[in-house]
Amino acid sequence: MKRLLYAVLILFITAQTGFTDDKDSAKKILASKLDAAIAVLQKKNMDQKEKDRRIIEIVTPIFDFPFMAKLSLGRKNWPGLSKEKKEKFTDLFIKRLEASYLEKLALYTDEALVYKTPVQSGRKVEIPTEVISKDKIISMTYKLYKSKRNWKIYDMEIEGISIIVTYRSQFDQILEKGTFEDLLLKLETPENK
Amino acid sequence: MNKKQVTHLLLLLLFSAFLSTGCAHKSVKSLPETSDDSPITQARETIPDKAEQTPSSPDVEDSIEDDFFDEEFEAQQVLVADPLSSWNKGMFHFNDKLYFWVLKPLARGYMEITPDYFRRGVKNFFYNLTMPMRFVNCLLQGKGNAAASEFSRFVVNTTAGGLGFGNPADQNPDLVVSTGEDLGQTFGKYGIGNGFYIVWPMLGPSTLRDSVGLVGDFFLNPLSYVEYSETWVAVKSLDLVNQTSFHIGEYEALKNSALDPYVALRNSYLQYREKKIKE
Repeated sequence: MKRLLYAVLILFITAQTGFTDDKDSAKKILASKLDAAIAVLQKKNMDQKEKDRRIIEIVTPIFDFPFMAKLSLGRKNWPGLSKEKKEKFTDLFIKRLEASYLEKLALYTDEALVYKTPVQSGRKVEIPTEVISKDKIISMTYKLYKSKRNWKIYDMEIEGISIIVTYRSQFDQILEKGTFEDLLLKLETPENK
Repeated sequence: MNKKQVTHLLLLLLFSAFLSTGCAHKSVKSLPETSDDSPITQARETIPDKAEQTPSSPDVEDSIEDDFFDEEFEAQQVLVADPLSSWNKGMFHFNDKLYFWVLKPLARGYMEITPDYFRRGVKNFFYNLTMPMRFVNCLLQGKGNAAASEFSRFVVNTTAGGLGFGNPADQNPDLVVSTGEDLGQTFGKYGIGNGFYIVWPMLGPSTLRDSVGLVGDFFLNPLSYVEYSETWVAVKSLDLVNQTSFHIGEYEALKNSALDPYVALRNSYLQYREKKIKE
């Protein structure tokens, strides 16, 4: 009888994993990376620089930073640029994104992270998460798409505010009045601090 | 193996078969959506787009359907007129300085001298007090259940919670916290557009529609009926400082990641309101 039970269990498990949904695999990948990043963040005896370095190392594989750079300029502004400009912009933008992600992650350090049911539409999956503390609940939605190899993040929304949309509005505004060089300069030199 | 065990086994098998078909069904369902773009996808895949390649990132090529993504973001972009931009920019700088020079240091000091439970209590109290605004707007938006929940929470928290300082309603899973409705959102639900962007001193970013909403909501706030006096100012300040103490760091994060903080804040406000209206 015991053997039969095992057999059934194995059958049951394989039947399930064999047909795991896309969105579940996306969620699994995201959760494994985020949990690892938060574990680093919560380490007590490690200096901030080392923490930042490790977190970026952990999350970089699931963020498609170069694609995010391209998306933030959009089809209106990206295609006309020379190869050098694209590269320079991508490099600077990635630095900005990394810093901003670290800052936002650190804002909600010792709080619980809850993954909600992902929503799939075609090759995109949105994974809503909630950062829960005693005082407040902050919603963070990770938006992933399926690239040839894996699931990758192409945008993030915090309380419904998309990172890409926010950058787009600023880039549009800067390019409306100024040149691409102005934009690069602004990207290079933070206005604040 | 008796009969009972056999039926159990059969049931389990059936169940797992159901699960697997359920999953398979889902992936089939998602197929038509992708196959809609597949002619484009294929066309794009076969034509290597040299100009679009960034050597540092092989993945950029993988994400072929750029238009597919661009459309998403273009649809999400909320545009609003900003005819008062010089006033707005002035007010933006005023609020910025007010935050860094006055509110933030005050909130920091306040955090030092008050225990967490006190700050949470004050927060609960002021939140509980604005129930009429949320209640009426839930009704105006046809959200009967949310309105009922708002009302029950108010009753529970005002009585058992000691005038709203406590939050025992949170222990009851039936009393769902509403998404915080206000009149600006109600107008938005009715299809009224933003009008134009306006920044108010102290109150921060708003639009014409949301400002009209603020006036309406003002009359639904019991505190508005307290006679203007030093006490009133003190109570209002407590509310403001207490609220700020829960959000230190958020504005800084927005500002640090921005190239143009004025535009970033304007855009973030509009996106945030759009999401609240859809909820």
